[in-house]
Amino acid sequence: MNHQKYWNPVLETLPREKLKLLQFKKFKRILNWAYTHSKFHKALYETAGLTPDDICSFDDIKKIPKVEKSMMRGIQNKDPFPYGDALCVPLEEVSTFRQTSGTTGQPVYQPDTWQDWEWWSECWSFVLWAQGYRPNDRVFIPFGYNIFVAFWAGHYAAEKLGCEVVPGGVLDTQSRILKIQELNASAIMATPTYVLRMADVAKNKMGIEPSELSINKITCAGEPGASIPSTKKRMEDAWGAKVYDHSGATEIGAWSYECRNQPCGMHVNEAMFLVEIEDIDTGEIIEEAGRKGKMVITALDRVAQPCIRFDSKDVIEWDSELCSCGRSFRLIKGGVLGRADDITKVKGVLLSPAAIEEVVRSIDGLGDEFEIIVDKQGDVDRIKLKVELMPEVTRVSIENQLKDQLRLKTNLGYRIEFYDYGSLPRYEVKAKRFKDLRKTNI
Amino acid sequence: MKNCLGVNGVNDKILKVKQLLVELESDAKQFPALDRNSKRALASIKMLELNISDIVAFDLADS
Repeated sequence: MNHQKYWNPVLETLPREKLKLLQFKKFKRILNWAYTHSKFHKALYETAGLTPDDICSFDDIKKIPKVEKSMMRGIQNKDPFPYGDALCVPLEEVSTFRQTSGTTGQPVYQPDTWQDWEWWSECWSFVLWAQGYRPNDRVFIPFGYNIFVAFWAGHYAAEKLGCEVVPGGVLDTQSRILKIQELNASAIMATPTYVLRMADVAKNKMGIEPSELSINKITCAGEPGASIPSTKKRMEDAWGAKVYDHSGATEIGAWSYECRNQPCGMHVNEAMFLVEIEDIDTGEIIEEAGRKGKMVITALDRVAQPCIRFDSKDVIEWDSELCSCGRSFRLIKGGVLGRADDITKVKGVLLSPAAIEEVVRSIDGLGDEFEIIVDKQGDVDRIKLKVELMPEVTRVSIENQLKDQLRLKTNLGYRIEFYDYGSLPRYEVKAKRFKDLRKTNI
Repeated sequence: MKNCLGVNGVNDKILKVKQLLVELESDAKQFPALDRNSKRALASIKMLELNISDIVAFDLADS
């Protein structure tokens, strides 16, 4: 059993035409469910002049109006309290409350039934099995076990797989490292920011070389990073472990995963989710590989508060090839490339913070932390990059390489400020390194 | 590999277990332990349905 490559060998290798048929039938099922159980969804579709019977083919799906996070904010805090009209089950069937992290605005509440919570761990099971988690793993999960969904379902999925799970909440970073060492944990789950932070603390504050600990695999989620090659390499070199990416969201579910083949991208779990890519400017659905767009996603089996054609604002693109792992689930190339609200134009040039991260972390003489600040002087955009020099590295040895790589990879010139190692803010969970002050008129 | 799983046969068993759990749940009105545990078991059965029964219901198994 443990040698089986796929969590579900039938679904994960279903021929593409059958997968599409599965997605369509499941989309119809969840659409019918939402239409008949949610006043919000019914009104949304009827305003667009649609009922579920109007969706007769896969191509019709795009007629269904999208849901934006702002719409969810608008209907919540009302009866059935606090979820409002999007709730599809009696309140007494809601067993779990979570809320979004609030990094993009007012948090959105997320109810789940016990079936939905099982579904969460089922989707994470696809993730972890693909990344090599097996019953002989001891998985240490160093997060706060709080109101954000984060790694809760990863915890339950690891248990489902038969792993031994060590909850690392409450402990501070040094205590967590000592516990990993004490218990010979083989795997951890954390944000890329925290993976690097733990390595930094272990090495520079505790005299413990992370690569000599027993960790052989790390699952990253919560922010892009594990699919940015230089960030992945930093993490893998620091820990002597394989690092795998996963992308999920409170209001969506655990929708994608990198497999052990590390294909420079992530599989979409197309048996449980329908992903569409929409051109940011025209709204046209992008089918072909190589064109970036915004992800519109449907969770095909989530019942308490369905996620149907949710405009996630994540920017992705399809890979042209299927993965050598044998899964028929398509890959999104390079993982989640950024946020549509972060990818912006500076001096007329499209800027992706991920591209800057790739450059900074590819230079050994620079620390892990950096900041990007965009502002305006008069009518002219300016962009400042703050970086840290590693101890005993001089600015003069790094500056030209950094400027050249930034120019090459982003087509922009930067005001660069160099700081001593340890000067820039450290983040414990998710980092917010990109600041566009033009939007705040500061 | 896929066909040696015998999805149709597995699905028949899933449906039988589900039917039994539905009956247990309906028997359980004055017995909280039976009621709540049956409900939880039905949620786990739903995961079996998503993994196997949908393949059969939507006629996606290899012929």
